[in-house]
Amino acid sequence: MSSTLTTNKVEEFVSHIAENNLAVWNELPNFRKSGVEALKNLSFPTTKDEYWKYSRTTKITKNQYKFDQIDSANINLDEVRVAGLDTYEIVMVNGFLNTELSNLPKNDSITIKSFEECTTEELTTYFSQNLDTITNFFSALNTAYFSEGIMVIAKGVCDKPVHLIHYSEGESVISQPRNIFVTEKNSELSIIKSSINKNTNNYFYNSVNEFFIGENSHINYYVIQNYEEGMNVMSTNVATQENNSTFSAFNYTLKGDWIRNNTNVFVKGEHCESNLYGAYQPTGREHIDNHTIMDHIMPNCESNEHYKGTVGDKATGVFNGKVFVRKDAQKINAFQSNNNILLSDDATMNSKPELEIYADDVKCSHGSTSGQLDEEAVFYLQSRGLSKESATALLISAFLGEVVEKIKIPELKEKVLEIYGME
Amino acid sequence: MISIKNLHASIDGKEILKGINLDVKAGEVHAIMGPNGSGKSTLSAVLAGNEDYEITDGSVDFMGEDLLEFSTEERSRMGIFLAFQYPIEIPGVSNMNFLRTAINETRESKGEDPIAAKEFLAKVKEKSALVELDNSLLKRYVNEGFSGGEKKRNEIFQMAMLEPKLAILDETDSGLDIDALKIVSHGVNTLKTKDNATVVITHYQRLLDHIVPDFVHVLYKGKIVKSGGKELALELEEKGYDWIKEEINA
Repeated sequence: MSSTLTTNKVEEFVSHIAENNLAVWNELPNFRKSGVEALKNLSFPTTKDEYWKYSRTTKITKNQYKFDQIDSANINLDEVRVAGLDTYEIVMVNGFLNTELSNLPKNDSITIKSFEECTTEELTTYFSQNLDTITNFFSALNTAYFSEGIMVIAKGVCDKPVHLIHYSEGESVISQPRNIFVTEKNSELSIIKSSINKNTNNYFYNSVNEFFIGENSHINYYVIQNYEEGMNVMSTNVATQENNSTFSAFNYTLKGDWIRNNTNVFVKGEHCESNLYGAYQPTGREHIDNHTIMDHIMPNCESNEHYKGTVGDKATGVFNGKVFVRKDAQKINAFQSNNNILLSDDATMNSKPELEIYADDVKCSHGSTSGQLDEEAVFYLQSRGLSKESATALLISAFLGEVVEKIKIPELKEKVLEIYGME
Repeated sequence: MISIKNLHASIDGKEILKGINLDVKAGEVHAIMGPNGSGKSTLSAVLAGNEDYEITDGSVDFMGEDLLEFSTEERSRMGIFLAFQYPIEIPGVSNMNFLRTAINETRESKGEDPIAAKEFLAKVKEKSALVELDNSLLKRYVNEGFSGGEKKRNEIFQMAMLEPKLAILDETDSGLDIDALKIVSHGVNTLKTKDNATVVITHYQRLLDHIVPDFVHVLYKGKIVKSGGKELALELEEKGYDWIKEEINA
């Protein structure tokens, strides 16, 4: 009885999204099919599911959404541009590529193109290859009804970072961008992902980013989430690494009503390095959830994961990091830590570090701390003339700054420090 | 400079200070000695404005102002400096950034412009040399990974940078070897002028060979039970605190 009811709800939810008579639905039907089929068997995630234990999705699933391709004449992207840094720009407006605002290269070292321009072989090789559309409702939803797909292929060391800018506007709008990043053998690529939202209400942004890091290639992926009110954000990132590759993801969440980031790394090659860094600072009634999977399948690799957050007011933070070391993955160094400071009595932090090791010759550690701001340190700073406010701000900056300092692009680091107020 | 009258303070409902009276004038050095648990550190914490303590009675006049009305940072800006017995480690905050912020917030509260970078650096160079604090420590995070002696020298360095009217040194000698003790004492003595004052809180007379006090007070069970000149410290060193306890408890 109840399962029939759930299915009907999902059907209804999906039908509103699908019924927009968008031309894109006719494109790439074979690729969308797996998502469409999966949705028929999926129900909305609930807090009874371990994976969604701390994040209610009813806030998203109770609403109806439409796609909205808006006029982009008045869009100004300056606020997210990085001073002094030249980049290629992919500009997506409500989930659709805007070619006028974008600056898309097609040269020897990098090609950026929409899925329609890709060969069937390219799409078959990469699309949805490591994405869980069978059990993950939102990944299936994106696969079935992604609004636009962009493929970035690096063939050499890219001369400039790629800046992916998502612009969102409107009420009860859904945006479902899909991006594939491929670094071929010996190549190098830095990606910056920024967002702007104006006049959003009940907006649902559901993006999927797939990374294929080829042999001896390197990806740095920087995400800056600094949303105005009215956005619910689901961001799924899945990376696959081959021999001697590096994948580093940096996630900085400053503001956002409801954010869930899933970042999963599958290390399928030897001698790889994987780094996952994150900082978050929810306040008010914000809800920020970071879920990560670090999956070591092959031996002789290293991974470092460090997430830090401050949770204030009545906000909630979630961190769930899972590290797998598979049976054949010997000589693995895997480190994970999550540190939190609760700034108010009403703030909540759910931290769950998990480690599953099936190999016997590995070095792994994980740990989680949640505590208050060090009052003795506040007093010490005050006793030297700092006001309580600046003492607190200085300590928070110092705490989160450790993760911000990891940014490898100096101009970007300066920008992130600036938006955190750490200068 | 500072006049403490009948000061009572308690923590978690337990009274620690039970009527302290003390007058310190500009240009003077006072030593406060006493056995463990007598209230020495509580006195310094209360004067610095630590809110863990509740003031239940008494008054403190600092240069004509009712000190107890002011917050910790206001007291610092008025010219009170507490050298901590256990300086706090603050990972992520560099010594230099911390000091510049401290100096500039103090200047701002007085309507002054921020310190010029050049002036700040020159002052850092001069004052760190005073306590032989290595330049590499200045760039590091506040007290993080410092040895005990380095932490105490860093306290005196901060004192030199902030130029307080009244410096309270809380067991600054604890854990110091003789060389470090001489360096710290040299710093304190050099900073002494006719316009400022120093209160040295210590358990041992040893420090007072190097920072010579004008007055010595014995704190016991939350009260100053005996005051005298520097010879009192020598007597305490020789005879211990028992004779005082006996005198009081009799």
